[in-house]
Amino acid sequence: MNSNIFQDNINQLALLAAVIIFFLTVFVAGKYIKQMKTDKSTGELADENWDGIGEYKNELPSGWAYTFLGTMIWGLWYWTMGYPVDAYSQIGEYNEEVAAHTAMFESKWADADDQTLQEMGEGIFLVQCAPCHGIAGDGMGGKAADLTVWGSAAGVLATIQNGSKGLGYPMGEMPAGMLSGDAAKKVAEYVANGMKGEMPAEFGVCAGCHGMDGKGMGGMAPDLTKYGSPAFVADVLERGKKGYIGKMVSFKGRLTPIQEKAVGAYILSLSRSE
Amino acid sequence: MFHWLEQRPFFFSVGVFLVIAFAGLIEIVPDFAQASRPVAGTQPYTLLQLAGRHVYIKDSCNACHSQLIRPFKSETDRYGPYSLSGEYAYDRPFLWGSKRTGPDLHRVGEYRTTDWHENHMWEPTSVVPGSIMPAYKHMFTQNADLETAYAEALTVKKVFNVPYDQPGFTKLGSWEEAKKQALEDAKKIAADMKNKDVKEAVERGEIPEIVALIAYLNSLR
Ligand code: HEC
Ligand code: HEC
Ligand code: HEC
Repeated sequence: MNSNIFQDNINQLALLAAVIIFFLTVFVAGKYIKQMKTDKSTGELADENWDGIGEYKNELPSGWAYTFLGTMIWGLWYWTMGYPVDAYSQIGEYNEEVAAHTAMFESKWADADDQTLQEMGEGIFLVQCAPCHGIAGDGMGGKAADLTVWGSAAGVLATIQNGSKGLGYPMGEMPAGMLSGDAAKKVAEYVANGMKGEMPAEFGVCAGCHGMDGKGMGGMAPDLTKYGSPAFVADVLERGKKGYIGKMVSFKGRLTPIQEKAVGAYILSLSRSE
Repeated sequence: MFHWLEQRPFFFSVGVFLVIAFAGLIEIVPDFAQASRPVAGTQPYTLLQLAGRHVYIKDSCNACHSQLIRPFKSETDRYGPYSLSGEYAYDRPFLWGSKRTGPDLHRVGEYRTTDWHENHMWEPTSVVPGSIMPAYKHMFTQNADLETAYAEALTVKKVFNVPYDQPGFTKLGSWEEAKKQALEDAKKIAADMKNKDVKEAVERGEIPEIVALIAYLNSLR
């Protein structure tokens, strides 16, 4: 905080204005007080007279009168022609501003690199997601999904142990505890690494719903090959989720595809950075 | 001309009346415009939501929160589409507010949920570190005033023709029916909550204020 108020030029101007107003007030008040003391009544009396009390004719100075008339004429013009014919629209200006910004945004960030996306994603996260997931993304002690885990092998493991529901896939819910111990860990590693390399035999349990290739059998269950990628996050953001922890809202239409990708890149950097 | 008026108080009064009436007319006429009709899909509040709205007013949430999203990009990015006058058709009184100590709430139902409100109203800093919003713990034990809410709903239905009970609109019904419906709505909300006292109260057939308030907040979309 700047403690010296005279360093700010707005403050300087305001002070200068205050001094000027003070002297003007003293001058004007002084003038009228003097006038009240010395003035004699002069001028032409109006015709009417109330119980002996008369009134001076005090015509409006012509400059004022013409200005007043002018404003009236301008008002009529504005009311009947100026506004309706050449209407300014606040909504129109808003629409133009948004369209221009969207076009600029789309072209500027069309192929942003990962670093840029993560930085953009952090900003979006702090505004849109942090109230529920916490500033660190840790879910604040179970109030929402722990994003420092979700998206990694440990996240898949937790899903295998606890099951999952609420994303709204036609297959419905995924039951808890289908695998345990080393088998579960092996499958979790395999899924979190994008299902590359040799497929563990235990993945057969999962194939019943997610398909042998893990792609979710044409939209019946989530596409596991995308788990841990911004595309999977974007899918969650579009769907929302009412699961065992609580309710996550859908961001459909509230974030642009680039923003979804960016916030996805950011939250995955929380769980997947080595 | 002015001297003439000054001498005739009756015509002077008529003149003053005409001038003021004209200004009033200019203010009233836009309310009959199409843009002020209820936006398609806008529904009168259910009994439970209305009771929650009373809690909102009683606890002066509108002193810190507005319910009016202006058509500026910075606002629509944060809060969602700008507000339309027809969306307030069943708000009596509207709660636009005039000050934003906290964020706008006109569409808070789109991006906050029952479980979040439960944590936040109990202790705002538990979810938003540094929040200066007061905690509202008393709402978890005090019961909502359904009678007043019903009286209001019935009044606006009868006096202002608010379309309660019309096909495609919120059902109100008799006091018994409305109360039963409110309790059912409350059960759905309590199911998403964790607070034991609240859950038990709803089981017993009571409706704590927090449940009504959350119903109202969730209806803001
Ligand atoms: C009974 C069918 C079924 C089986 C078997 C199944 N899943 Fe799922 N899985 C689903 C469904 C349905 C979802 C979406 C759940 C939801 O709505 O949250 C899902 C979601 C997931 C997710 C995403 C969870 C998240 O946090 O978004 C992962 C990871 C996953 N399954 C891994 C597996 C693995 C690994 C196996 C094998 C051990 C497996 N699934 C077996 C049906 C199944
Ligand atoms: C209203 C609070 C809320 C907001 C806002 C919110 N989330 Fe969530 N989110 C949740 C909750 C609660 C869950 C846990 C759902 C469950 O599994 O029960 C969750 C789960 C998730 C998951 C895991 C989904 C899965 O399949 O298990 C991801 C990823 C996620 N959120 C990302 C985000 C991102 C990114 C944002 C911001 C753009 C965000 N969330 C905003 C409450 C929220
Ligand atoms: C003293 C001013 C004050 C009062 C009174 C107040 N709030 Fe708040 N509110 C805030 C501030 C500041 C925030 C932002 C910090 C936060 O999220 O806690 C906020 C945030 C919120 C949010 C989260 C909105 C968002 O977009 O994240 C909701 C919902 C809310 N308040 C509801 C209420 C309700 C309901 C009441 C009345 C029972 C109320 N507030 C009374 C100051 C206030």
